[in-house]
Amino acid sequence: MKNTKKGLFDSLQSLPIFGLQHQGIPPGGGMDTFSLQLANALVGNDLYDKVLEMHFPAGVYEFETSTLVAICGADFSAHLDEVPVPLNQPIKVPKGSVLTCKKPVSGMRVYVATRELKDEQVARIKIMPWSMAPENVLSNDPIRILCGREWDHLKACSQQTLLSKDFAISAISNRMGYQLIQAPLKTASATPLLSSAVTAGTIQLLPSGQLVVLMAAHQTTGGYPRVAHVISADLPRLAQMGPKESLRFTLTDPMTAEYEWIFQQNYLQQVRNVCALKLSQHRFDHH
Amino acid sequence: MKNQIYELGDTAITIEFGTEISMEFHEEVIRRFYQFQSNPLPGTLDLIPAYTSLTIVFDLGYVASRFQGLAGMKTLVEEKLAEPFSAVTPEGRLHKIPCLYEGPDLAAVALACGLSESEIIHIHSEKEYQVYFLGFLPGFAYMGTTDERITVARKETPVTIQPGDIGLAGNQTGIYPSTSPGGWQIIGRTTTDLLPDGLPLFQVGDRVRFIPQRS
Repeated sequence: MKNTKKGLFDSLQSLPIFGLQHQGIPPGGGMDTFSLQLANALVGNDLYDKVLEMHFPAGVYEFETSTLVAICGADFSAHLDEVPVPLNQPIKVPKGSVLTCKKPVSGMRVYVATRELKDEQVARIKIMPWSMAPENVLSNDPIRILCGREWDHLKACSQQTLLSKDFAISAISNRMGYQLIQAPLKTASATPLLSSAVTAGTIQLLPSGQLVVLMAAHQTTGGYPRVAHVISADLPRLAQMGPKESLRFTLTDPMTAEYEWIFQQNYLQQVRNVCALKLSQHRFDHH
Repeated sequence: MKNQIYELGDTAITIEFGTEISMEFHEEVIRRFYQFQSNPLPGTLDLIPAYTSLTIVFDLGYVASRFQGLAGMKTLVEEKLAEPFSAVTPEGRLHKIPCLYEGPDLAAVALACGLSESEIIHIHSEKEYQVYFLGFLPGFAYMGTTDERITVARKETPVTIQPGDIGLAGNQTGIYPSTSPGGWQIIGRTTTDLLPDGLPLFQVGDRVRFIPQRS
């Protein structure tokens, strides 16, 4: 794909790359890793392959060869050659086709996975007759959290606030972290902490009583109280929320966090297997 | 104090060896870092040392499907900690970093500490510092501890800091490897490349000495 008009914040992203955090190098990776992997699965790529992550306004891209493409995550009203195309469905596109995103309908980040069709000349845009419905993403259920080491640094009333009130996402939020907007929370203890490791999903309590949720591009260590952690399975959903939206938190347990993660990973693996099979059958029927 | 072992979200376990910066706790962090590095627990993705803690990041899917999740890993960590220590701990390197003490905040630091600028320079450069860990930015080393006479608070509002700038914050000192917003008080700078070939110059366990230069 050739970029013909730059987007606000387009980048190629893969799954986080671990193993260098002791050198201060964060794992990074895409924000909504679920949609990233789903897009790969739909075109038969490996789940960890790099895909294009775009925010709105998104860039304009021209396909340089016959390509199989899947668009997942945010609904930015994606068009191919000025014709609207569906999300979560593999599409064959001919050389010269142009991908544009018209308007932000829902979600914050769109993922575009591509696979070059080396032995096939696609004559016109063809939407493959199967789609996946990732119903567990972009729902309105509360974001599930686990208590952090410094959960008790919040006074009981503020713990209650965290678990019952709506939080807005600040406009200064970015890929490193989401700042939440709420009346300052009350802290029960002011013992300063020594810096130690943090992870994606760690919810830090700032001295001002505000909360920050660390996202994909977080630093490796931090010194603020870690009052809670968003479970890994809910980070993709959080990554699709943006300013103007409100969210709620609910407490869960490690067993649920692990179950939900495995459920998602199994789902993605199944989608990949099914799509690989359908793609091979489709080619067979075609010839 | 007994080690504290706790879950950090659903992907990591932190072992805390103490709650104050001390060489005794930190040597334990380094020893355990090399122990878990040379003989990693299954599903380990990252080992993150800090002042007094070591965090092990796990592949959630792997440990959940094969080892009863983090709860199971916690038990394994406890068993590992009870074993006699076996891995070889490399001797840290000593880095001599030439430093031009002409930072924009040197005068303010001198004022805040009630010392002259040359006293700040003398106190900062006479001590050998320990690289406690790397964090914040790729290759940024948290070093300490500085003499209590030059303890200064961070700035209230972060400013843009240039690569090579040497700062103070609390009883820590550090060098910015790349351009970044930061709240540390900048007292000097170095031309030493902290990311030669893109890899951090400093490693946890290294020592650093600042050598004052004339402009």
